[in-house]
Amino acid sequence: MSGHAHELRVANHGDNPVLKAIGILSSICGIVSALTIFGAVALTCQMIFVRYVLNESTVWQTEMVVFMMVSATMLGLPYVQKLRGHVNVDLLPMLLSPKPRFVLFIITNLCTIAVILVMVIYGYTYFEYNFDRNIRSDSVWGPVLWPLYLSVPVGFALYLLQILADFYGGLTGIEKPFGLKDEERL
Amino acid sequence: MDPLLMGAIIGMATIIVLFSGISVAVGLLVISCFFLIVFDGFRSVELVPEIFSGKINNFALLSIPMFIIMGAAISSTRAGADLYEALDRWLTRVPGGLVISNLGACALFAAMSGSSPATCAAIGKMGIPEMRKRGYPDEVAAGSIAAGGTLGILIPPSVTMIVFGIATETSIGRLFLAGVMPGLLLVALFMAWSIYQTWRTGDTNVLSGRSFSMKEKLEVLPKVLPFLGIIVAVLYALYGGIATPSETAAVGALACIIVAVVLYKLWSVQSIWVVLRDSTRESVMILFIIGAAGAFSYMLSSLFITQSIAEWIGTLDVNRWVLMGAINLFLLLAGFFLPPVAVIIMAAPILQPIVTNAGFDIYWFAVILTINMEIGLISPPVGLNLYVINGIAPDIPLKKILAGSIPYVFSMVLAIIILCIFPGIATWFPDLIMGPATFG
Repeated sequence: MSGHAHELRVANHGDNPVLKAIGILSSICGIVSALTIFGAVALTCQMIFVRYVLNESTVWQTEMVVFMMVSATMLGLPYVQKLRGHVNVDLLPMLLSPKPRFVLFIITNLCTIAVILVMVIYGYTYFEYNFDRNIRSDSVWGPVLWPLYLSVPVGFALYLLQILADFYGGLTGIEKPFGLKDEERL
Repeated sequence: MDPLLMGAIIGMATIIVLFSGISVAVGLLVISCFFLIVFDGFRSVELVPEIFSGKINNFALLSIPMFIIMGAAISSTRAGADLYEALDRWLTRVPGGLVISNLGACALFAAMSGSSPATCAAIGKMGIPEMRKRGYPDEVAAGSIAAGGTLGILIPPSVTMIVFGIATETSIGRLFLAGVMPGLLLVALFMAWSIYQTWRTGDTNVLSGRSFSMKEKLEVLPKVLPFLGIIVAVLYALYGGIATPSETAAVGALACIIVAVVLYKLWSVQSIWVVLRDSTRESVMILFIIGAAGAFSYMLSSLFITQSIAEWIGTLDVNRWVLMGAINLFLLLAGFFLPPVAVIIMAAPILQPIVTNAGFDIYWFAVILTINMEIGLISPPVGLNLYVINGIAPDIPLKKILAGSIPYVFSMVLAIIILCIFPGIATWFPDLIMGPATFG
C-alpha cells in the first residue's frame, strides 16, 4: 500500500508558470497536512499523559484530534494528487491504443471535475448551514463545527485546482495521459 | 426498478469506472453521485459531502495514520537490514536457515510496519541478493520475499484489519489477535515450500549456513530490540486494556520516530520530512477512499440494494460452504485488481450480514478475506509486491518472480482451506486473550 520501493512520481509542470504555482500551492497544503497529522500524534500523546499519568480527565483533546485529522485529510488531497498518490487501476487505459486512451483520459477527467464540483458546492452549503446557525458539537467541550466543515469545500477546491492543472498538462502533452507511455500496453 | 437488477447494473458500472484509470476514491464518488441522481433525483447528492466528512470524522480512524507513521519511521531506517542480519545469525543452524530467517524477518518486519510493500522492500533489499549469493534458486529468493511481504496486512498491527474493524464495527483488538495464528501458519507453509523447492531444484548444500560466534550473535541485538520493544509495548497496551488502538498507535508512532532519530541518527530535517511525507501520502489516500466508500455504501443502502442482496442470498437455499466458496472467489477476483483497503471498505459491510447469517464467525472471516487480499498482492495484473521485488532485483525477470510466487499463492489457498476445516486457528487466540466474542 505504500510506495516506499518506487521512485516518487510527481506532477510535471513543464515550466508553465501557472502549473508551477498550483504545484507549489499543493505542496504547501501537503506540508500543512503532514504537520497537522504529526500534531495529532503529539496531541494524542499529551492526552494519554494527562489521562493515565496525571489521572486527570481530558475535555477537548479527543475531538480536537479528530478535527485535525479530518482537516489534514482534506488539505492533503491536492498534495497527494501532485505526488500521484491516489491509487488507481489503469487496466482499461492499458488495453487501449494511444488515441482512445486519450479520449478516455478526457472522459475520466471530466467526471472527476464534475464530482469534485459537487463536493465543493454542497460542501460549502453544509458549511454555510453550520456557520449561520453557529451549530456546536454536543460534547462537554462543545466547539463550533463550521471550521471542520469548512475544510471540506476548501480541500476539494484546492484538489480541483491540481486536477485541472494535471488535466491541462495531459491535454497539452506536458504529461502522458494516465502517466503511461504510448508503448505501455497489456 | 427491482433493487437486485439495479444492484447488478451498479456493480457493472462500478467495475468499469474503477478500471478506467480514475482514482479509486473519485471513482466511488462518481458512481455514488451518478446513481443517486438517476434514481433519487438531483437533490439527493446534496448529502454526499456531509456523509463523506461524517465517515472520516471518527476517532477510531486515527489509528490508521498513526500506524502508518510507525511503519514509515521504521522503514526509513536500516531496521529491516538489522533485523535480517540478526535473524540470519541466530537461525543459521536451522536447516534452510537463510530462507527461514528471511521469512521470519518478513513476519517480524510485517508486524512492525503493517505494510506489505514496505516489508518486501526492507527485507528483500538484503535478503534477495544474499540468498542468490549463497546459491538459492532465483524463484525461491524472489517468491519467498514477495510472499513473506504479504504478511504485513495479516500480522498485527495491520492497517487493513483496522479498516475491516471500522467498516464492520467489530473489535480491532480482536481482529489483530485473530491474524496472529493464521499468520504463523502461513509463515510455516511458506518455509516448508521454500525448503522443499530449494532441496528439489537447488544445491542442497546451500541449506546449511555458516556459523556465527556468540559475540557476533549478541552484537546485533541492541539495534533490533528497541523497535521490537515498541511493538510489544503497543500490543501490551492494547490488550492490557490500557488504551484504545488509536491512543496506543499514537504513542507507538512517536516512539518509533524518536528511536529512528536517536538510534538511527535520522536527524536531518529532510529525512524526517520523508517519513512525514510518505505517511501523509498514504494516510490521505486511504482516508479519502474510506470517505468515498461511505458515500458509496450510503448510495447502495438508500437505493435498498445492500438490504436486497442480503435478503436474496438468504432466500437462496445453498450450502453455507458453497456460499463461502463463492464469496472467496469474488474476493480473490476483486483482490487481483483493487487495493486491499478499497475491497474491504466496499465489500465488508455488504458481506458482513451475509456471512454472519450463514453462521460464520466474523473474525475468522476477516482472516479469510485478508488472505485473499494477500494473494492479490502477488498475482498479476496489479500484484504490487511483484513490482517491488522487480524494483529491488531488476536482473530477475518479472516472469521468474511470478513463477516463483505461484507456489506461494497455492500455499495461501491451502491456508484458507485449512482455516475452513479448523476455524479455531483464527478464533482460539483472541478467545484465549479476550474471552469469547459476543455478537449482536
